Amino acid sequence: MEASQSRVWRASREMAEIKVENLHKEFGVGEDRVVALENVSLGVQGHVFVSIVGPSGCGKSTLLNILSGIETPSSGTVTITQDNRDAEPGYVFQAARLLPWRTVMDNLLFVQKDRSDATRERCQRYLEMVQLGDKGDKYPGELSGGMQQRVGIARAFSIEPDVLFMDEPFSHLDAITARSLRRELHEMWRQARKTVLFVTHDVGEAVELSNRILVFAKGGRLEDDLQVDLPFPRDPSNEDVAIAKAKVLRKFEELDLVAT
Amino acid sequence: MATTVATAPIRDSGWIGVLKSPQTARLLFPFAVLALWYLIYFTIDSRIFPTPVEVLEFMWEEVTLTSGVRYSSVAENLYVQFAISILRLTIGFFIALILGTVIGLAMGLSKSVNAFFHDWVMAILAMPALVWALFLGLALGFSHTGPIIAVILAGLPFVIINVREGVRNTPRELFDMARAFDVPQNKITRHVLVPSLMPFFFAAIRYAYAIGWKGLIIAEVFASDRGMGWTIKFWYDANRAKGVIGYALFFIIFAVILEKLVFDRLSEKAFKWRPQVNAVQMAEGDFGGVTQEGFLLQESQVHGGVPIESMEGESRDG
Repeated sequence: MEASQSRVWRASREMAEIKVENLHKEFGVGEDRVVALENVSLGVQGHVFVSIVGPSGCGKSTLLNILSGIETPSSGTVTITQDNRDAEPGYVFQAARLLPWRTVMDNLLFVQKDRSDATRERCQRYLEMVQLGDKGDKYPGELSGGMQQRVGIARAFSIEPDVLFMDEPFSHLDAITARSLRRELHEMWRQARKTVLFVTHDVGEAVELSNRILVFAKGGRLEDDLQVDLPFPRDPSNEDVAIAKAKVLRKFEELDLVAT
Repeated sequence: MATTVATAPIRDSGWIGVLKSPQTARLLFPFAVLALWYLIYFTIDSRIFPTPVEVLEFMWEEVTLTSGVRYSSVAENLYVQFAISILRLTIGFFIALILGTVIGLAMGLSKSVNAFFHDWVMAILAMPALVWALFLGLALGFSHTGPIIAVILAGLPFVIINVREGVRNTPRELFDMARAFDVPQNKITRHVLVPSLMPFFFAAIRYAYAIGWKGLIIAEVFASDRGMGWTIKFWYDANRAKGVIGYALFFIIFAVILEKLVFDRLSEKAFKWRPQVNAVQMAEGDFGGVTQEGFLLQESQVHGGVPIESMEGESRDG
């Protein structure tokens, strides 16, 4: 089970599987009742990068919160398994959500099961992967927003999760930082060979990163399930990528999602 | 000559720069006070009003125990009186801190508990320390108990309110993060809850200490036959202004030293993760009525102006 030190990720015989059945989520009661997710069913399996896109208020963040256990569904079931056991998820948030009173390294150690030397080494390795190998003893307040988000990504990867949930992790960053982080993230995903669920409202970002795009509409309905079969890495200025993006956007127009 | 506009502001150099600097202004203040002191000395009837030199002489005699004045049959001097007051302050301070933390935590966590205590906390805040002192003197006579209770009552509301606001302002998104990563609850408490409460707790410590001192001095004037407050009153009864001013200065010096040596260092240690703002700045200029202003200021900055009703009254008699 344990991989050799040279490997970034521990080897696993099987891929994670996410199964969502008839998931329903409502907030409030009576007049204030809001449906966030309406009978959503989907399955995700293996080494895929799945983007969830849709207008704000379509329940995409709620779905991710339910998958990661922060929120509970009103009805329906969610199972996330890996090798017939409960899978371990990692999470990257919209804001970095680091503990400001702990150093970068301690922030990574905070989410670990133990503090052994091996664990420390692993954390250091992931900090190096996001190019922050020398920033372990800095406090988050001493880092830029992009660096903080990198720490957030390293933290999610450092527990070597079976699945990774990401909730618009680059939406607060400037375009150039977001672009380089997207590349880093993709490279890490490629090496780690894990299942990623990535929420975004940016269609271009979704097309650039994912094999599969789930389109949600307002009211929490899963409207479409698109495959994007283009080789990685994808350059947004590449013709095929641009065409794919245009296709997805057209789909949005068909579903009348653009105006909202 | 449009080119002269957007340049950097012209800085004074050399002597003028030194004279205009904030450091000079700060150093200048004591001299201004001295000048004013002498002005008052020469304008009013100076039979009881001492000169600064007289006050310093008095203080020196007290420190070196050469004044020859003993206040009672017991050989009580500056050090004994000070020790008594500090003992009372320390006991009252820690009780206020523990009690206030427990009540503040409960109020922050439960709306019902908050409703139960809220009006009473405000009532204690509104009550002048003088009234407590008189009441405690009547109820308990001259003992340690009265002044200690005065310290507790003075500090308690500030501890309660600060801790409560701390609990109310715990960062939800960090708790969610910790739960998403399956971090065990005791680890969340230690690494998320407690550190997020620290700035509020430190503010509570400073206020409980600063305001507790004032409550203590008043209680000792009216409800004690020992301590710094009582000694100040002794010199008042003796019609010696130099004694009153001298002991007030002892009190101020001690309070400032403790503030700088203990609290500033503690908060520097606790808040080294904050690159720019630290708790030292937050509670800068911490004595007297400034505390109250600072508290209100902090309240409004942190919580967008939560009105703390009936906060006045405390600083006037302090």
